[in-house]
Amino acid sequence: MEIQGYNLPDDLYYDADHYWCKLEGGLIVMGMNDFAQKLAGEIVFVQLPFEGKKIQTGKKFAKVESGKWVGKVMGPVDGEIAASNQALETNPKLINQDCYGQGWMYKIKPDDPGKIDALTHGADKIRSWLLADIERYKKG
Amino acid sequence: MELFNLGKVPWDRSQLIYHALGELNREALSLVSPATPYVCLGFHQNVDVEVDLEYCRSQGIPVFRREVGGGAVFLDGRQLFFQLVLRKNNPLVPLGMEAFYRKFLEPVIQVHRRLGIPAEYRPINDLAANGRKISGTGAGHIGDSAVFVGNLILDFDYDTMARVLKVPDEKFRDKVHKTIRENLSTIRAELGPKAADLPDETGLNAMLAEEFSKVLGPFTPGRMDAELEAMMRTLGRKMLPESWLHRRGKRVNGRQVKVRAGLEVLHRVHKAKGGLIRVDRTVEDGRFRDVDISGDFFVQPKDAITRLELFLEGRPAADVRSLLADFQANHDFDLPGVTIEDWLAVLE
Repeated sequence: MEIQGYNLPDDLYYDADHYWCKLEGGLIVMGMNDFAQKLAGEIVFVQLPFEGKKIQTGKKFAKVESGKWVGKVMGPVDGEIAASNQALETNPKLINQDCYGQGWMYKIKPDDPGKIDALTHGADKIRSWLLADIERYKKG
Repeated sequence: MELFNLGKVPWDRSQLIYHALGELNREALSLVSPATPYVCLGFHQNVDVEVDLEYCRSQGIPVFRREVGGGAVFLDGRQLFFQLVLRKNNPLVPLGMEAFYRKFLEPVIQVHRRLGIPAEYRPINDLAANGRKISGTGAGHIGDSAVFVGNLILDFDYDTMARVLKVPDEKFRDKVHKTIRENLSTIRAELGPKAADLPDETGLNAMLAEEFSKVLGPFTPGRMDAELEAMMRTLGRKMLPESWLHRRGKRVNGRQVKVRAGLEVLHRVHKAKGGLIRVDRTVEDGRFRDVDISGDFFVQPKDAITRLELFLEGRPAADVRSLLADFQANHDFDLPGVTIEDWLAVLE
């Protein structure tokens, strides 16, 4: 769905830092959402952790650089990295071009796939959460 | 919020302090300057690509990788650093990048204006005076904190800056040197003879503290307590060894040096079937400048390359594919074994 110029599909799950997640064949696929990629500007580097790296909910496991900013990527759930999108090594701009498709970032093997429910999901919740952040953004 | 007005500190502490405050989630403004010079590398840079380590070692210049983005810079005691650490969720921290920089560069603009320099904010993170950059800034997340760092540049050692960078050849170094000199100014250069009246380091730091307090509220004196010292030691053990310096960074094609936002000096080499092509060029605000093509390919007539260089001058770099097609269609020349794809490899 489109909310004030930002495209946030309502079938995805979102963490507080505007990364999206979805369950796919027992794995959680993760990437940056449209609001975050627009705010970040051109992504110039993405850390791509190796398969097997353990991640924890709310703990940093990678960094993303947009030229003006180095940001952290936090674990959305407990688990381990099953894959990182190697295409981002040479072309991190894929995140800006297609954040829900070719610009996906990580696949995570979750300890408990049900934990994805702790993330923001459902059209109404996504809408009110994003509107609150847009408001904060506008205020500066 | 704490204020660490420390003046001159050992070079490594000028970096470790804000990293430690960030990790500890201690909101503070730190005003420091390194007692001795060093080179500071952006978080995702490859040190072997960016810095002439052999030269730095021979001159006793340490090299440090910070947890903030941007490019390699030469830092010394003629630069005064401001390092702001705020909790990520502090309502004072704007969500958008531009709003963030605009807000926290304002005190720095005011300090320059009080000194008589007409500094202005230039999106997204530059401060300019009379058309030239006058302060370097960067930001990022460290721990659960949003960190903003930058400097008042009293004087700048252009020669050493150009010397510590790793370059493919001296011609490229001269180009980098010239471009930095043309595009980066300093407080002393802007003030000219009036620089004699410039406040000393203590006075300038007092001005910074005063201007930042207008945005952040009053400060309490920061204490270099056991917690902070312990975190600086911990981070020193992580960030000072060679292993941290040599972490794998982002892959770059050829060599590129960013002088300011929208201004880069680039060098690329590509092996085409018809021979080696090498291109040095500057891209300024999206347009080609000073394109210099050489190599061992065969071209007839000889001036076709000069014509291509002139053709590209001032044109939008983003249009390179159509520009090359246009040039090929409208100029008569023979360049066997070099295709448009080969040119794109060095010009895109």
